[in-house]
Amino acid sequence: MSKTLLNILLSILLLVPAQAVIFNNLILFNVAVPLVFIYVIVSLPVTLSTNVSLTIAFITGLAVDIFGDTQGVNALACTLLAFIRKPVYHLYMSIDDDLAGMRPSLRTMGYSPYMKYLLTMTLLYCFAVFAIEAFQFHNFGLMLLRIICSTAFTFVIIYAIDSLSIRQRQREKKL
Amino acid sequence: MNELILFFRNNSKWFMFIIYVVISCMLLFQHNPYQHHIYLTSANAVASGAYGLGSEVTSYFNLREINADLNARNAALQSEVVNLREQLDILQEKNYTDTMVTDSTMQHFRFIVAHVINNSVSKPYNYLTINKGSNDGVKAEWGVIDQNGVVGIISNVGPHSARVISLLNPNFRLSCKVKNSDGFGSLVWDGKDPSIALLEELPRHTIYHKGDTVVTSGYSAVFPPGLPVGRVITEDQNRKENFFTLKVELFADFTTLSNVQVVVNNYRAELKALEAGEKEEEEENIKNPFKQ
Repeated sequence: MSKTLLNILLSILLLVPAQAVIFNNLILFNVAVPLVFIYVIVSLPVTLSTNVSLTIAFITGLAVDIFGDTQGVNALACTLLAFIRKPVYHLYMSIDDDLAGMRPSLRTMGYSPYMKYLLTMTLLYCFAVFAIEAFQFHNFGLMLLRIICSTAFTFVIIYAIDSLSIRQRQREKKL
Repeated sequence: MNELILFFRNNSKWFMFIIYVVISCMLLFQHNPYQHHIYLTSANAVASGAYGLGSEVTSYFNLREINADLNARNAALQSEVVNLREQLDILQEKNYTDTMVTDSTMQHFRFIVAHVINNSVSKPYNYLTINKGSNDGVKAEWGVIDQNGVVGIISNVGPHSARVISLLNPNFRLSCKVKNSDGFGSLVWDGKDPSIALLEELPRHTIYHKGDTVVTSGYSAVFPPGLPVGRVITEDQNRKENFFTLKVELFADFTTLSNVQVVVNNYRAELKALEAGEKEEEEENIKNPFKQ
Protein backbone atom coordinates (compact mmCIF):
# COMPACT_ATOMS: atom_id res chain seq x y z
CA MET A 1 0.00 0.00 0.00
CA SER A 2 2.72 2.43 1.01
CA LYS A 3 4.61 1.53 -2.15
CA THR A 4 1.58 2.47 -4.24
CA LEU A 5 1.25 5.82 -2.45
CA LEU A 6 4.94 6.47 -2.94
CA ASN A 7 4.57 5.74 -6.65
CA ILE A 8 1.63 8.15 -6.89
CA LEU A 9 3.51 10.86 -5.02
CA LEU A 10 6.48 10.41 -7.32
CA SER A 11 4.30 10.69 -10.43
CA ILE A 12 2.74 13.91 -9.05
CA LEU A 13 6.16 15.39 -8.28
CA LEU A 14 7.27 14.51 -11.81
CA LEU A 15 4.22 15.40 -13.87
CA VAL A 16 3.02 18.63 -12.24
CA PRO A 17 6.30 20.57 -12.74
CA ALA A 18 6.61 18.98 -16.20
CA GLN A 19 3.11 20.25 -16.99
CA ALA A 20 3.98 23.74 -15.73
CA VAL A 21 7.37 24.14 -17.38
CA ILE A 22 7.07 22.04 -20.54
CA PHE A 23 3.55 21.04 -21.53
CA ASN A 24 1.90 24.40 -20.81
CA ASN A 25 4.24 25.84 -23.43
CA LEU A 26 3.57 23.08 -25.97
CA ILE A 27 0.34 24.59 -27.26
CA LEU A 28 -0.37 23.76 -30.92
CA PHE A 29 -2.06 26.44 -33.07
CA ASN A 30 -3.29 28.13 -29.91
CA VAL A 31 -6.01 25.46 -29.52
CA ALA A 32 -4.47 22.11 -28.53
CA VAL A 33 -3.24 22.10 -24.92
CA PRO A 34 -1.67 18.86 -23.66
CA LEU A 35 -3.06 18.28 -20.15
CA VAL A 36 -0.65 15.46 -19.43
CA PHE A 37 -0.79 15.62 -15.62
CA ILE A 38 -4.18 13.85 -15.62
CA TYR A 39 -2.13 10.68 -16.13
CA VAL A 40 -1.75 10.81 -12.33
CA ILE A 41 -5.51 10.46 -11.91
CA VAL A 42 -6.08 8.14 -14.86
CA SER A 43 -3.52 5.65 -13.55
CA LEU A 44 -4.63 5.58 -9.90
CA PRO A 45 -5.20 1.95 -8.78
CA VAL A 46 -8.83 0.98 -9.21
CA THR A 47 -9.07 -0.49 -5.73
CA LEU A 48 -7.96 2.78 -4.12
CA SER A 49 -10.81 4.24 -2.04
CA THR A 50 -12.72 7.12 -3.59
CA ASN A 51 -11.88 9.39 -0.64
CA VAL A 52 -8.13 8.98 -1.13
CA SER A 53 -8.30 9.38 -4.91
CA LEU A 54 -10.47 12.50 -4.51
CA THR A 55 -7.88 14.01 -2.18
CA ILE A 56 -4.98 13.14 -4.50
CA ALA A 57 -6.85 14.56 -7.49
CA PHE A 58 -7.75 17.78 -5.69
CA ILE A 59 -4.17 18.38 -4.55
CA THR A 60 -2.82 17.67 -8.03
CA GLY A 61 -5.35 20.03 -9.61
CA LEU A 62 -4.61 22.76 -7.07
CA ALA A 63 -0.87 22.45 -7.72
CA VAL A 64 -1.40 22.83 -11.47
CA ASP A 65 -3.69 25.79 -10.78
CA ILE A 66 -1.04 27.51 -8.68
CA PHE A 67 1.55 27.07 -11.42
CA GLY A 68 -0.80 28.10 -14.20
CA ASP A 69 -2.66 30.95 -12.41
CA THR A 70 -6.01 29.36 -13.19
CA GLN A 71 -7.62 29.77 -9.74
CA GLY A 72 -9.57 26.55 -9.07
CA VAL A 73 -10.29 25.51 -12.67
CA ASN A 74 -8.12 22.39 -12.65
CA ALA A 75 -8.85 21.61 -8.98
CA LEU A 76 -12.57 21.41 -9.74
CA ALA A 77 -12.09 19.43 -12.96
CA CYS A 78 -9.70 16.97 -11.27
CA THR A 79 -12.15 16.39 -8.41
CA LEU A 80 -14.90 15.66 -10.93
CA LEU A 81 -12.61 13.33 -12.88
CA ALA A 82 -11.60 11.36 -9.78
CA PHE A 83 -15.24 11.01 -8.83
CA ILE A 84 -16.33 9.50 -12.15
CA ARG A 85 -13.16 7.44 -12.61
CA LYS A 86 -14.55 4.15 -11.26
CA PRO A 87 -17.84 4.24 -13.20
CA VAL A 88 -15.89 4.97 -16.39
CA TYR A 89 -13.51 2.10 -15.67
CA HIS A 90 -16.41 -0.29 -15.15
CA LEU A 91 -17.90 0.76 -18.46
CA TYR A 92 -15.12 -1.13 -20.20
CA MET A 93 -14.01 -3.71 -17.61
CA SER A 94 -16.16 -6.10 -15.61
CA ILE A 95 -16.15 -5.80 -11.81
CA ASP A 96 -14.05 -8.93 -11.23
CA ASP A 97 -11.10 -7.62 -13.18
CA ASP A 98 -10.10 -4.96 -10.66
CA LEU A 99 -9.44 -7.34 -7.77
CA ALA A 100 -5.78 -7.46 -8.68
CA GLY A 101 -5.40 -3.85 -7.46
CA MET A 102 -3.40 -2.86 -10.51
CA ARG A 103 -3.08 0.57 -12.02
CA PRO A 104 -5.08 0.94 -15.22
CA SER A 105 -2.58 0.72 -18.06
CA LEU A 106 -2.06 -0.92 -21.44
CA ARG A 107 -0.52 -3.94 -19.73
CA THR A 108 -3.21 -4.55 -17.12
CA MET A 109 -6.29 -3.69 -19.18
CA GLY A 110 -5.37 -4.72 -22.67
CA TYR A 111 -5.19 -2.70 -25.82
CA SER A 112 -8.78 -1.84 -26.73
CA PRO A 113 -10.34 -1.30 -23.26
CA TYR A 114 -7.43 0.92 -22.21
CA MET A 115 -7.70 3.05 -25.35
CA LYS A 116 -11.42 3.53 -24.74
CA TYR A 117 -10.92 4.24 -21.03
CA LEU A 118 -8.15 6.75 -21.67
CA LEU A 119 -10.05 8.49 -24.46
CA THR A 120 -13.21 8.80 -22.34
CA MET A 121 -11.28 10.17 -19.36
CA THR A 122 -9.34 12.65 -21.49
CA LEU A 123 -12.45 13.85 -23.28
CA LEU A 124 -14.33 14.28 -20.00
CA TYR A 125 -11.45 16.19 -18.45
CA CYS A 126 -10.92 18.51 -21.42
CA PHE A 127 -14.66 19.11 -21.58
CA ALA A 128 -14.74 19.93 -17.85
CA VAL A 129 -11.73 22.27 -17.97
CA PHE A 130 -12.82 24.24 -21.00
CA ALA A 131 -16.45 24.35 -19.91
CA ILE A 132 -15.43 25.71 -16.50
CA GLU A 133 -13.23 28.32 -18.18
CA ALA A 134 -15.95 29.19 -20.70
CA PHE A 135 -18.41 29.52 -17.84
CA GLN A 136 -16.76 32.89 -17.21
CA PHE A 137 -16.30 33.64 -20.89
CA HIS A 138 -18.37 33.39 -24.07
CA ASN A 139 -16.74 31.84 -27.10
CA PHE A 140 -18.56 28.65 -27.87
CA GLY A 141 -17.03 27.64 -31.24
CA LEU A 142 -13.49 28.18 -30.02
CA MET A 143 -14.25 26.23 -26.84
CA LEU A 144 -15.49 23.23 -28.83
CA LEU A 145 -12.42 23.30 -31.06
CA ARG A 146 -10.16 23.49 -28.02
CA ILE A 147 -11.89 20.54 -26.37
CA ILE A 148 -11.50 18.31 -29.43
CA CYS A 149 -7.91 19.29 -30.28
CA SER A 150 -6.73 19.15 -26.66
CA THR A 151 -8.34 15.74 -26.15
CA ALA A 152 -6.56 14.34 -29.19
CA PHE A 153 -3.21 15.85 -28.23
CA THR A 154 -3.41 14.81 -24.57
CA PHE A 155 -4.51 11.31 -25.54
CA VAL A 156 -1.55 10.81 -27.85
CA ILE A 157 1.00 12.02 -25.29
CA ILE A 158 -0.41 9.99 -22.38
CA TYR A 159 -0.62 6.91 -24.61
CA ALA A 160 3.03 7.42 -25.51
CA ILE A 161 4.05 7.78 -21.85
CA ASP A 162 2.15 4.62 -20.97
CA SER A 163 3.67 2.53 -23.75
CA LEU A 164 7.12 3.80 -22.75
CA SER A 165 6.62 2.51 -19.22
CA ILE A 166 5.52 -0.90 -20.64
CA ARG A 167 8.66 -1.20 -22.70
CA GLN A 168 10.78 -0.36 -19.68
CA ARG A 169 9.11 -3.08 -17.65
CA GLN A 170 9.66 -5.63 -20.38
CA ARG A 171 13.31 -4.72 -20.52
CA GLU A 172 13.58 -5.17 -16.75
CA LYS A 173 12.02 -8.62 -17.10
CA LYS A 174 14.55 -9.63 -19.74
CA LEU A 175 17.41 -8.57 -17.54
CA MET B 1 -26.46 8.35 16.89
CA ASN B 2 -24.91 5.17 15.55
CA GLU B 3 -27.06 5.43 12.48
CA LEU B 4 -25.92 8.97 11.95
CA ILE B 5 -22.26 7.92 12.09
CA LEU B 6 -23.03 5.01 9.78
CA PHE B 7 -24.76 7.39 7.39
CA PHE B 8 -21.73 9.66 7.29
CA ARG B 9 -19.38 6.76 6.83
CA ASN B 10 -21.38 5.17 4.04
CA ASN B 11 -21.69 8.42 2.16
CA SER B 12 -18.26 9.80 3.00
CA LYS B 13 -17.23 9.94 -0.65
CA TRP B 14 -20.13 12.25 -1.43
CA PHE B 15 -19.18 14.55 1.42
CA MET B 16 -15.54 14.61 0.37
CA PHE B 17 -16.62 15.33 -3.18
CA ILE B 18 -18.88 18.18 -2.15
CA ILE B 19 -16.23 19.71 0.15
CA TYR B 20 -13.60 19.72 -2.61
CA VAL B 21 -16.05 21.10 -5.17
CA VAL B 22 -17.03 23.90 -2.78
CA ILE B 23 -13.35 24.80 -2.12
CA SER B 24 -12.60 24.84 -5.87
CA CYS B 25 -15.64 26.99 -6.57
CA MET B 26 -14.61 29.43 -3.86
CA LEU B 27 -11.28 29.83 -5.62
CA LEU B 28 -12.94 29.95 -9.01
CA PHE B 29 -15.37 32.73 -8.22
CA GLN B 30 -12.88 35.01 -6.50
CA HIS B 31 -12.99 37.38 -9.42
CA ASN B 32 -10.74 40.22 -8.36
CA PRO B 33 -7.18 39.16 -9.25
CA TYR B 34 -5.70 41.53 -6.67
CA GLN B 35 -7.33 39.52 -3.87
CA HIS B 36 -5.72 36.20 -4.80
CA HIS B 37 -3.51 34.98 -2.02
CA ILE B 38 0.19 35.09 -2.83
CA TYR B 39 0.58 31.34 -2.10
CA LEU B 40 -2.09 30.49 -4.65
CA THR B 41 -0.49 32.44 -7.49
CA SER B 42 2.56 31.72 -9.61
CA ALA B 43 4.47 34.41 -7.68
CA ASN B 44 5.05 32.06 -4.73
CA ALA B 45 8.52 30.71 -3.99
CA VAL B 46 8.09 27.16 -5.33
CA ALA B 47 6.37 28.08 -8.60
CA SER B 48 8.64 31.01 -9.38
CA GLY B 49 11.66 28.84 -8.56
CA ALA B 50 10.53 26.19 -11.04
CA TYR B 51 9.76 28.80 -13.68
CA GLY B 52 13.09 30.51 -13.03
CA LEU B 53 14.89 27.24 -13.77
CA GLY B 54 12.75 26.70 -16.87
CA SER B 55 13.37 30.15 -18.25
CA GLU B 56 17.12 29.76 -17.71
CA VAL B 57 16.87 27.34 -20.60
CA THR B 58 14.09 28.77 -22.73
CA SER B 59 15.17 32.41 -22.56
CA TYR B 60 17.70 31.72 -25.29
CA PHE B 61 15.11 30.52 -27.78
CA ASN B 62 13.71 33.85 -28.95
CA LEU B 63 16.86 35.91 -28.74
CA ARG B 64 17.03 36.45 -32.49
CA GLU B 65 13.64 38.16 -32.73
CA ILE B 66 14.19 40.06 -29.50
CA ASN B 67 17.50 41.32 -30.81
CA ALA B 68 15.86 42.48 -34.02
CA ASP B 69 13.16 44.26 -32.02
CA LEU B 70 15.75 45.90 -29.79
CA ASN B 71 17.77 47.02 -32.77
CA ALA B 72 14.70 48.57 -34.37
CA ARG B 73 13.81 50.27 -31.11
CA ASN B 74 17.37 51.41 -30.71
CA ALA B 75 17.36 52.93 -34.17
CA ALA B 76 14.10 54.74 -33.49
CA LEU B 77 15.41 56.12 -30.20
CA GLN B 78 18.68 57.09 -31.84
CA SER B 79 16.87 59.07 -34.51
CA GLU B 80 14.70 60.64 -31.84
CA VAL B 81 17.77 61.67 -29.86
CA VAL B 82 19.36 63.16 -32.94
CA ASN B 83 16.20 65.04 -33.81
CA LEU B 84 15.75 66.32 -30.30
CA ARG B 85 19.38 67.39 -30.11
CA GLU B 86 18.98 69.31 -33.33
CA GLN B 87 15.86 70.94 -32.01
CA LEU B 88 17.62 71.80 -28.79
CA ASP B 89 20.48 73.37 -30.72
CA ILE B 90 18.08 75.43 -32.78
CA LEU B 91 16.24 76.56 -29.71
CA GLN B 92 19.43 77.45 -27.91
CA GLU B 93 20.67 79.27 -30.93
CA LYS B 94 17.53 81.32 -30.99
CA ASN B 95 18.50 82.28 -27.47
CA TYR B 96 15.21 81.17 -26.09
CA THR B 97 15.00 82.73 -22.66
CA ASP B 98 15.82 80.77 -19.52
CA THR B 99 12.11 80.06 -19.00
CA MET B 100 12.17 77.44 -21.75
CA VAL B 101 9.96 74.52 -20.75
CA THR B 102 11.25 71.06 -21.51
CA ASP B 103 8.97 68.11 -21.82
CA SER B 104 9.06 66.77 -18.28
CA THR B 105 6.51 63.95 -18.48
CA MET B 106 9.08 61.18 -18.64
CA GLN B 107 10.98 62.42 -15.62
CA HIS B 108 8.20 61.17 -13.39
CA PHE B 109 8.89 57.67 -14.47
CA ARG B 110 11.69 55.25 -13.76
CA PHE B 111 12.04 51.71 -15.11
CA ILE B 112 13.06 48.43 -13.46
CA VAL B 113 14.21 45.79 -15.94
CA ALA B 114 12.77 42.32 -15.30
CA HIS B 115 12.71 38.95 -16.99
CA VAL B 116 9.51 37.03 -17.81
CA ILE B 117 9.72 33.54 -16.30
CA ASN B 118 6.20 32.32 -17.01
CA ASN B 119 3.71 33.38 -19.64
CA SER B 120 0.49 32.17 -21.22
CA VAL B 121 -1.57 33.42 -24.17
CA SER B 122 -4.16 30.73 -24.77
CA LYS B 123 -6.24 30.87 -21.60
CA PRO B 124 -9.29 33.11 -21.23
CA TYR B 125 -7.51 34.92 -18.37
CA ASN B 126 -3.77 35.19 -18.90
CA TYR B 127 -1.06 36.09 -16.41
CA LEU B 128 2.73 36.43 -16.54
CA THR B 129 5.30 35.95 -13.82
CA ILE B 130 8.42 38.14 -13.67
CA ASN B 131 11.59 37.57 -11.68
CA LYS B 132 11.59 40.87 -9.73
CA GLY B 133 9.68 41.25 -6.47
CA SER B 134 9.35 43.44 -3.41
CA ASN B 135 13.08 43.06 -2.67
CA ASP B 136 13.76 44.89 -5.94
CA GLY B 137 11.25 47.61 -5.11
CA VAL B 138 8.37 46.30 -7.23
CA LYS B 139 4.87 47.03 -5.90
CA ALA B 140 1.36 45.98 -6.88
CA GLU B 141 -0.56 48.06 -9.44
CA TRP B 142 2.56 49.16 -11.25
CA GLY B 143 2.62 48.98 -15.02
CA VAL B 144 4.76 46.64 -17.11
CA ILE B 145 5.97 47.40 -20.66
CA ASP B 146 8.41 45.85 -23.10
CA GLN B 147 10.40 47.45 -25.91
CA ASN B 148 7.37 47.37 -28.21
CA GLY B 149 4.49 48.45 -26.01
CA VAL B 150 2.32 47.89 -22.97
CA VAL B 151 2.36 44.38 -21.46
CA GLY B 152 0.28 44.47 -18.27
CA ILE B 153 -0.08 45.53 -14.66
CA ILE B 154 1.32 43.91 -11.50
CA SER B 155 -1.22 42.22 -9.24
CA ASN B 156 0.64 40.14 -6.64
CA VAL B 157 4.17 40.65 -5.36
CA GLY B 158 6.38 38.07 -3.68
CA PRO B 159 9.90 38.76 -2.37
CA HIS B 160 11.67 37.69 -5.59
CA SER B 161 8.88 37.47 -8.13
CA ALA B 162 5.64 39.13 -9.09
CA ARG B 163 2.55 38.14 -11.03
CA VAL B 164 1.41 40.41 -13.84
CA ILE B 165 -2.13 40.64 -15.21
CA SER B 166 -1.44 40.42 -18.93
CA LEU B 167 -3.09 42.75 -21.43
CA LEU B 168 -4.58 39.44 -22.67
CA ASN B 169 -6.86 39.28 -19.63
CA PRO B 170 -10.39 40.72 -19.69
CA ASN B 171 -9.91 41.86 -16.08
CA PHE B 172 -7.48 44.48 -17.31
CA ARG B 173 -8.77 47.58 -19.12
CA LEU B 174 -6.28 50.13 -20.35
CA SER B 175 -7.19 53.74 -21.08
CA CYS B 176 -5.97 54.46 -24.62
CA LYS B 177 -6.46 56.89 -27.48
CA VAL B 178 -5.71 57.09 -31.16
CA LYS B 179 -2.53 59.13 -31.61
CA ASN B 180 -3.10 62.77 -32.61
CA SER B 181 -6.78 62.58 -31.72
CA ASP B 182 -8.45 63.60 -28.47
CA GLY B 183 -11.16 60.98 -27.84
CA PHE B 184 -10.08 58.16 -25.56
CA GLY B 185 -11.48 54.70 -24.91
CA SER B 186 -10.57 51.57 -23.03
CA LEU B 187 -8.56 48.73 -24.52
CA VAL B 188 -9.69 45.23 -23.60
CA TRP B 189 -8.94 41.74 -24.92
CA ASP B 190 -11.82 39.66 -26.29
CA GLY B 191 -10.24 36.26 -25.65
CA LYS B 192 -9.79 35.19 -29.26
CA ASP B 193 -6.50 36.15 -30.87
CA PRO B 194 -3.42 36.94 -28.72
CA SER B 195 -2.30 39.62 -31.18
CA ILE B 196 -5.57 41.57 -31.37
CA ALA B 197 -7.46 43.59 -28.75
CA LEU B 198 -10.50 45.88 -28.88
CA LEU B 199 -10.48 49.61 -28.20
CA GLU B 200 -13.97 50.22 -26.84
CA GLU B 201 -16.13 53.20 -25.93
CA LEU B 202 -14.50 55.62 -28.33
CA PRO B 203 -16.66 58.73 -28.78
CA ARG B 204 -18.25 59.20 -32.18
CA HIS B 205 -16.25 62.27 -33.19
CA THR B 206 -12.85 60.51 -32.91
CA ILE B 207 -10.96 60.68 -36.20
CA TYR B 208 -8.97 57.60 -37.15
CA HIS B 209 -7.56 55.82 -40.18
CA LYS B 210 -6.49 52.25 -40.70
CA GLY B 211 -2.88 51.94 -39.57
CA ASP B 212 -3.01 54.73 -36.98
CA THR B 213 -1.05 54.12 -33.79
CA VAL B 214 -2.92 53.61 -30.52
CA VAL B 215 -1.14 55.02 -27.46
CA THR B 216 -1.82 55.15 -23.71
CA SER B 217 -3.85 58.17 -22.69
CA GLY B 218 -1.98 58.79 -19.42
CA TYR B 219 -5.23 59.28 -17.50
CA SER B 220 -3.95 57.01 -14.75
CA ALA B 221 -0.83 56.99 -12.62
CA VAL B 222 0.21 53.59 -13.98
CA PHE B 223 1.50 54.30 -17.49
CA PRO B 224 3.07 57.46 -18.87
CA PRO B 225 1.03 59.10 -21.65
CA GLY B 226 1.93 58.33 -25.25
CA LEU B 227 3.30 54.79 -24.82
CA PRO B 228 2.66 52.80 -28.01
CA VAL B 229 0.15 49.97 -27.65
CA GLY B 230 -0.93 48.87 -31.12
CA ARG B 231 -2.12 49.71 -34.61
CA VAL B 232 -5.73 50.24 -35.78
CA ILE B 233 -6.78 47.52 -38.24
CA THR B 234 -10.48 48.36 -38.61
CA GLU B 235 -11.40 49.93 -41.96
CA ASP B 236 -12.75 53.47 -41.99
CA GLN B 237 -16.52 53.34 -41.81
CA ASN B 238 -19.66 55.30 -41.17
CA ARG B 239 -20.69 55.39 -37.56
CA LYS B 240 -24.23 55.56 -36.30
CA GLU B 241 -23.89 54.89 -32.58
CA ASN B 242 -22.51 57.42 -30.11
CA PHE B 243 -19.67 55.09 -29.12
CA PHE B 244 -17.79 52.63 -31.29
CA THR B 245 -15.18 49.90 -31.10
CA LEU B 246 -11.90 49.53 -33.01
CA LYS B 247 -9.81 46.42 -33.58
CA VAL B 248 -6.21 46.99 -32.55
CA GLU B 249 -3.23 44.86 -33.50
CA LEU B 250 -0.93 44.86 -30.47
CA PHE B 251 2.73 45.85 -30.83
CA ALA B 252 3.92 43.66 -27.96
CA ASP B 253 4.31 40.06 -29.13
CA PHE B 254 2.98 38.15 -26.13
CA THR B 255 4.08 34.78 -27.47
CA THR B 256 7.77 35.70 -27.29
CA LEU B 257 7.90 38.03 -24.29
CA SER B 258 11.27 37.92 -22.58
CA ASN B 259 12.61 41.15 -21.10
CA VAL B 260 10.17 43.70 -19.73
CA GLN B 261 10.35 46.95 -17.76
CA VAL B 262 8.32 47.79 -14.69
CA VAL B 263 7.17 51.41 -14.80
CA VAL B 264 7.78 53.25 -11.55
CA ASN B 265 5.88 56.49 -11.16
CA ASN B 266 7.82 58.66 -8.74
CA TYR B 267 4.83 60.88 -8.03
CA ARG B 268 2.38 58.04 -7.61
CA ALA B 269 1.90 58.41 -3.85
CA GLU B 270 1.28 62.12 -4.29
CA LEU B 271 -1.28 61.52 -7.04
CA LYS B 272 -3.04 58.83 -5.02
CA ALA B 273 -3.28 61.08 -1.97
CA LEU B 274 -4.66 63.86 -4.11
CA GLU B 275 -7.28 61.58 -5.68
CA ALA B 276 -8.22 60.14 -2.28
CA GLY B 277 -8.62 63.65 -0.91
CA GLU B 278 -10.86 64.60 -3.81
CA LYS B 279 -12.98 61.54 -3.26
CA GLU B 280 -13.42 62.33 0.43
CA GLU B 281 -14.43 65.86 -0.37
CA GLU B 282 -16.96 64.59 -2.88
CA GLU B 283 -18.42 62.16 -0.40
CA GLU B 284 -18.70 64.92 2.17
CA ASN B 285 -20.52 67.08 -0.33
CA ILE B 286 -22.94 64.26 -1.05
CA LYS B 287 -23.57 63.71 2.65
CA ASN B 288 -24.27 67.34 3.56
CA PRO B 289 -24.86 69.31 0.41
CA PHE B 290 -25.97 72.41 2.30
CA LYS B 291 -22.78 72.78 4.29
CA GLN B 292 -21.83 75.99 2.65
